[in-house]
Amino acid sequence: MIHSFQDLLKLGALAGAGVSVAIIVWYLAKRPPLGRLAKMLLFLGLGVFPTGVALMGNIAGFEFTKTRQFCGSCHVMGPYVRDAGDPASKSLASAHSRNKWFGHDSCYTCHADYGMFGAVATKVTGLSHLYHYVTEYAMTGPDGEGGKPLKLYKRQDLEKKKLTEAEFTKHVNGVCKQCHSTDDPMWIAAGAHEGVLDGLRGDKTACIDCHSDIHPTALHRRAKQARAEESKP
Amino acid sequence: MKHAQIKKLTYVAAAGTLVSVILMSLALVFPNPLLLVFAMSLGQGIGILSLALYLLAIALDLNIGGALVDNVDEQLQAVREDHVRK
Repeated sequence: MIHSFQDLLKLGALAGAGVSVAIIVWYLAKRPPLGRLAKMLLFLGLGVFPTGVALMGNIAGFEFTKTRQFCGSCHVMGPYVRDAGDPASKSLASAHSRNKWFGHDSCYTCHADYGMFGAVATKVTGLSHLYHYVTEYAMTGPDGEGGKPLKLYKRQDLEKKKLTEAEFTKHVNGVCKQCHSTDDPMWIAAGAHEGVLDGLRGDKTACIDCHSDIHPTALHRRAKQARAEESKP
Repeated sequence: MKHAQIKKLTYVAAAGTLVSVILMSLALVFPNPLLLVFAMSLGQGIGILSLALYLLAIALDLNIGGALVDNVDEQLQAVREDHVRK
């Protein structure tokens, strides 16, 4: 069934691939003389249809790489994706994943770079994710417990002093402000936003300073949670 | 360049495109990170190379002026021998 533009592209790419394979198999099996007709058919089978498959496949593939399902296909993302998909969870990730507009792409929506070449930068970073996944996290337990704790690239840059605190705050606030403009009267009236409005608008205060329960089941937080449980009377 | 070599070039191009198209289709049917990366890099690379080989074969064929026919060298030889006999 076709539910989205991505499904349509996928179907188009697979149909093109089918025609291309049929022409090539016919040529390799029959080995006809290369007359004008055979040349034209081969041009379609070796050039036109595969180019269509590549173009449509690239777009369909790119769209799929934005989905939560794709992010969760690496086991180290298990705790994050399970929490995001948990309807009972009160985490920020889960609340945003229940959004009907972008919930299915919630990882990408919040973690992608949002600048002019944000999509390209995000995909280049994604390739380095894949490299680290294969070289460092492949055999590290069901949720990657044996690997290094995962951290945001921007946080790593902050720790390595490649980013200043102000740049980091501006970046993470920018992600939230894609939707939460800070101008909506209801938003201003909610919680304690009014008191920190200037700080938020000027990126002196980070949204995540207060809204820190983003991924409560993240591995690096488990030890803290265990200690907190133990210290409960 | 002989006709037989040009035909071989075309077979290699066809086989390469087949591999490329299958790899790209697999990535669409079973999308996972490794397969997607392979399809979008290696798969498309093989496809582009195969198309280049096919276009080269066509250019060479046009250069020697004629449609590629099976056993063309033998057929030409037969025609020559027939001509000599006559």
